[in-house]
Amino acid sequence: MFYRTAGQFKTSYSADQALFPVRQDAVLLIVILAFAWIIFPLTASEFTFQTLLIPILIYSLAALGLNILTGYAGQLSLGTGAFMGVGAYACYKMVTLMPWMNPIVAILLSGVFSAGIGVVFGIPSLRIKGFYLAIATLAAQFFLVWLFEKWAWLYNYNASGAIQVPNLDMFGVYVAGPQATSFTQYYVVLAIVSLLTWVCINLTRGRPGRTWKATRDMDIAAELIGIDLMRSKLTAFAVSSYIVGVAGALFVFMWRGAAEPNLFDIPLSFRILFIAIIGGLGSVLGNYLGAILIVGLPVVLGIVPEALGLEITSATVEHLNVMIVGGLIIFFLIIEPHGLAQLWRLIREKLIIWPFPH
Amino acid sequence: MRMTAKLLAAAVVAAVAGSTASAESIYAPNLSYRTGPFAATGIPLMNGQKDYIDMLNARDGGIGGVTVDFDECETGYSTEKGVECYEKTKGKAIVTQPWSTGITLQVLPKTNVDEIPILAPGYGFSPMADGKVFKWAFNAPSSYWDGASMILQYIDSQDGLKGKKIAFLHLDHPFGKEPLPFLEKKAAEQGFELVPIPVGLKEMQNQSAQWLQIRRERPDYVVMWGWGAMNAGAITEAVKTKFPMDHFIGVWWSGHDADLDLVGEEGKGYKSISWSFPELDAPVMADIKKYVVDPGNSQSNEKEMQGVFYGRGLVISMILAEGIKAAQDHFGTAAIDATQLRWGLENLDVTEERLAELGMTGMVPPFKTSCSDHTGHSGGWMLEWDGAKFVKVSDLLKPETDAIAALEVEKAKEYADANAPWPMNDDCN
Amino acid sequence: MLSEIFVEPFADMVAAPDFLMQVLWEGLVSGILYALIALGFVLIYRSSRIFNFAQGIMVVFAALTLVGLHEAGVPAWVSVVLTLGVMFVLAVVVERVVLRPLVGQPDIILFMATIGITLFLIGFGEIIFGGENKVMITQELGIPTDSVVFEPFGGLLILEQKDITAAGIAALLVIGLLLFLNKTRMGRAIRALGDDHQAAMSVGISLQTIWVLVWFIAGIIALVTGIAWGARAGVSFALEVIAYKALPVLMLGGLESISGAIVGGLMIGMLEKLFEIYWGQPLLGGNTETWFAFMLALVVLLFRPQGLFGERIIERV
Repeated sequence: MFYRTAGQFKTSYSADQALFPVRQDAVLLIVILAFAWIIFPLTASEFTFQTLLIPILIYSLAALGLNILTGYAGQLSLGTGAFMGVGAYACYKMVTLMPWMNPIVAILLSGVFSAGIGVVFGIPSLRIKGFYLAIATLAAQFFLVWLFEKWAWLYNYNASGAIQVPNLDMFGVYVAGPQATSFTQYYVVLAIVSLLTWVCINLTRGRPGRTWKATRDMDIAAELIGIDLMRSKLTAFAVSSYIVGVAGALFVFMWRGAAEPNLFDIPLSFRILFIAIIGGLGSVLGNYLGAILIVGLPVVLGIVPEALGLEITSATVEHLNVMIVGGLIIFFLIIEPHGLAQLWRLIREKLIIWPFPH
Repeated sequence: MRMTAKLLAAAVVAAVAGSTASAESIYAPNLSYRTGPFAATGIPLMNGQKDYIDMLNARDGGIGGVTVDFDECETGYSTEKGVECYEKTKGKAIVTQPWSTGITLQVLPKTNVDEIPILAPGYGFSPMADGKVFKWAFNAPSSYWDGASMILQYIDSQDGLKGKKIAFLHLDHPFGKEPLPFLEKKAAEQGFELVPIPVGLKEMQNQSAQWLQIRRERPDYVVMWGWGAMNAGAITEAVKTKFPMDHFIGVWWSGHDADLDLVGEEGKGYKSISWSFPELDAPVMADIKKYVVDPGNSQSNEKEMQGVFYGRGLVISMILAEGIKAAQDHFGTAAIDATQLRWGLENLDVTEERLAELGMTGMVPPFKTSCSDHTGHSGGWMLEWDGAKFVKVSDLLKPETDAIAALEVEKAKEYADANAPWPMNDDCN
Repeated sequence: MLSEIFVEPFADMVAAPDFLMQVLWEGLVSGILYALIALGFVLIYRSSRIFNFAQGIMVVFAALTLVGLHEAGVPAWVSVVLTLGVMFVLAVVVERVVLRPLVGQPDIILFMATIGITLFLIGFGEIIFGGENKVMITQELGIPTDSVVFEPFGGLLILEQKDITAAGIAALLVIGLLLFLNKTRMGRAIRALGDDHQAAMSVGISLQTIWVLVWFIAGIIALVTGIAWGARAGVSFALEVIAYKALPVLMLGGLESISGAIVGGLMIGMLEKLFEIYWGQPLLGGNTETWFAFMLALVVLLFRPQGLFGERIIERV
């Protein structure tokens, strides 16, 4: 009923291939954007900003980066956390070495460093495949985190080995550091995430996206039809690491405020992998759905017992939380291995024909 | 999907925030960790902290007539979870007890803006002692640099420091790196060789490489800044490699009874500097038994309650309670807020007489904080494992306050400069 | 600089041969444990193409169950038997609840499911057993805890008896496993399933039974690993990280090769220790053990993409 497509005629191929072949999709997107850009920031409390809105956006972006590599180009990576670290440390070095630099420019540039390192660690993918490659990306994960710990120049010889975000301002408004408000930071994050999402949607729909998908589905076949595998895999690594690096810079500069090396260790990588897989590999929308579930769920679960007036110790809540997240991962994999995005696709199909199923 | 999920979450958050806002008590949350690789050392401390406050609530009806709502928020020693807990509790909390150097560093700048005092007894960032720079942070009664200073003095009094080789086995984490600036400074001044040996978070349980290095370097002493599973790992390796245990000294967080129980008799001689001591006959222990343990409200057990860490948990909550009391007396109001508690923590004066009143004589050395000194530099005792428990083997040791204060001011300034604009507390002099 | 890399480490080795032997022994002991964990991975991968990330937590879970049962007053050897029972139940539950509904899904989905199992077991285990570090019941199981001291070349070499015992038990376990796989009907069925699912099922091999069996064997290996490692450093959830150390072993040895897992494990154990002591600590600031094995495996893989012992990969369109 709400999704009825009757009367929407396509008269050309390009109309049929458009981003929103169904008008209601565009309307829905506008509604969501209105919520994200206007309603949420005006109504959210500090707690909601800090534990839901900002982290969901940042994790979605990181998962989007991983999804380009794993979902579109088919190269499983377990080193996302470390590449986020590269972005964060690069951004930190840039703003401390060049304090005059615009923070948003610094964040967008920091992805370039992680892209470079991503390409270097992507080279083995030309020879190594499948789980072997996944373990090979762990080499990047462990080596980079070790480097963050040992290379004192990276954290400006800080005695505790952590990086601390200085106060950064842009046109007189603090956008990072302790003086910045969540409200400003949310908008910065939202702007960057929206921009990169738009870029990614177009990349994956265009020639690079098709090349990646061909590589994913069968790389030898792709090579036979004239796709340069080296180029395809390495561009996937570069684009993916760029986005992940930017997400890492946002992660530390717009949300955490400080970071120590082991923050970027393997649990972070897994967290982002969960988001990408639960959301749906090879989907842009899925990253957002996955992030809402994985980031939002523990927050909600932490509140529920208190809201119900149950006397459960915080430790038990945490244990239950871990159990439930583990159980839910299995549950979602069983009911829909292609993720929440696929679930939405099915719902949408149903909506289009509702209330007159075939 | 995205919209509804967010709305749902927001609604839940709003509902909860609304329902619990109106309680007649002082809200003092603790960012505890009873899970994860550091839980083994966290649990007895958290139990001690909780039992002391529960005892006050049951015995005296709280502090100054208002009950203390002592809530735990689980962090698992993860900085990320810790910050989440901080954000969750800061709305109505009068204090934040971050319980990890990583979390402390992270919330430190935020507390200036949110105006909530950080209470980090015996941990956190040593330069926090400089109250002029760190208006909202307190690490009474002793900082890590105090601990390092006392350990060095003890070694000096035993064998002399000059020309000695000291291995510094530490967790490769902000906590473990904390005393390095002080140790490096002293090494240069006093002419001993310092060999820092880091233990990665992933290697806490398997330190054979580190202990092989110790065997090769042949240090005269090993000083350890360990925590969680690292302590047990180090102590078992030391026994295994036949390192002389009486030349092995840990910081206060490395003196956990359960870790030493693993090796029992073979750990005899192992030392740990400490600003707290479990006096089992102290009146406060009897009160805890009567008001908390007997009604069945304690999560602890008899063996754990005899340990150093449980006793330290009591002392930590005592510091908070004394801060609350000082603020209540000064401002003449029972339901104090965060700003008033800050004043209280800045004007702590825990004397021998006061300790006797509290029934805690001998459990912590007397100390006093001020506007410019947020640590108090209480000093501490050297404890030694006698095969079954820790015993005091030294008189009260005092840190070299002058040398430390100079370094504190220097590092605090560095911190403030790096985080400019940093609000200074100009009321102090 | 060059001399620090190429000359001094070897000079050190020659100057203190007893120390070198100690380093190699420590490496060997770690290597045995890596090999055992890798063995658990290989068994499951061979028979079901599942990259079982939960092997690490199974080690912790088995060890905690054992210690927990003993603390509850059950005699040591009875607790071993009961723990084996628990691991069997775990195998059945995993097969029923997780694997059966996911048959035929892509590898990465199954891999994620095992991460889900890992998280579930962490939460479940902490609720039941608590987070404290526990002492492995070494003496109660009759494992000697003294050490043997040698004095080769006038130096000192300390071998822990429990490490020697662990090595012996590991060897027995491997021999038993090889005999089982090669000589018994069940064992051959496991191998057949590894070679070709369809063909194996068509000759009447039950997929479900074999999966339960394989997960159970992985559980037994986990228990042995847990006892051996727990005896060294206590039992707690921090043990879980050793699972990562088995991954480069798999790269090096090949995901499907039992001998590869063993040789790879021992090699990595010794090489990473040598590198850490003679190069890592003096030149790189230490803690190189976290990544050395991965880098080594990566370099080897660049030249042999199927690992040292893996079956040659033949790709067809």
